[in-house]
Amino acid sequence: MAKSLLIVSRSAPWSGLAAREALDIALAGGAYDLPLGMLFMDDGVFQLVEGQRPEALKQKNLGANLQALPLFGVDALFACSASLAERGLDPAMLAVPATLTAPEALPAVFNQFDEVITL
Amino acid sequence: MSTLHVISSSPFADTRLGSCLRTLGPNDGLLLCGEAVQALRPGTPMALRLGTLAGARLYALDEDCLARGLESVEAEQVDYPGFVELSLRYTRVNTWL
Repeated sequence: MAKSLLIVSRSAPWSGLAAREALDIALAGGAYDLPLGMLFMDDGVFQLVEGQRPEALKQKNLGANLQALPLFGVDALFACSASLAERGLDPAMLAVPATLTAPEALPAVFNQFDEVITL
Repeated sequence: MSTLHVISSSPFADTRLGSCLRTLGPNDGLLLCGEAVQALRPGTPMALRLGTLAGARLYALDEDCLARGLESVEAEQVDYPGFVELSLRYTRVNTWL
């Protein structure tokens, strides 16, 4: 049985490569049927905002990659509810279905996986 | 089931340590190394917070404390072999890159 991996993505989508790299790890692992989950917290929750137009910055949209996660078998998606609230984001308006998770419940999310990587 | 969280950046420069404290469970460990040991500066709000962790164990890399003149800090001092030993003692290691 392959080890399960939680990818914690805490970087905003259009400044730097960390958000894209976290997503690439998830999609690559998913393509090989590895048991994976993703947790969006801190500025990482900005990846989940609908209606973003990164073309204005000549960047590729991550939205399609996010939507592809369930197709690649990555459907354990979590979003930190406190990170959303602090940034004025409405959980009902997210582009991707992620399980809203309060900070107190985050240790239990970590405990569902063998390994964790934070980017 | 427990996680060893490893942080190496100063809490005065970014939000990693604050976010990590949010995810810290009662059986978890927190190891400060590099500039993150500045979080142990006595009298600062972060040091006070670290002094009241509910259950979680707090460790600091000894040479990083010594190098920064932090001699009597409220954390269990470990050296590099101790770092390795800790990474085996916990179920998983989460390095806050």
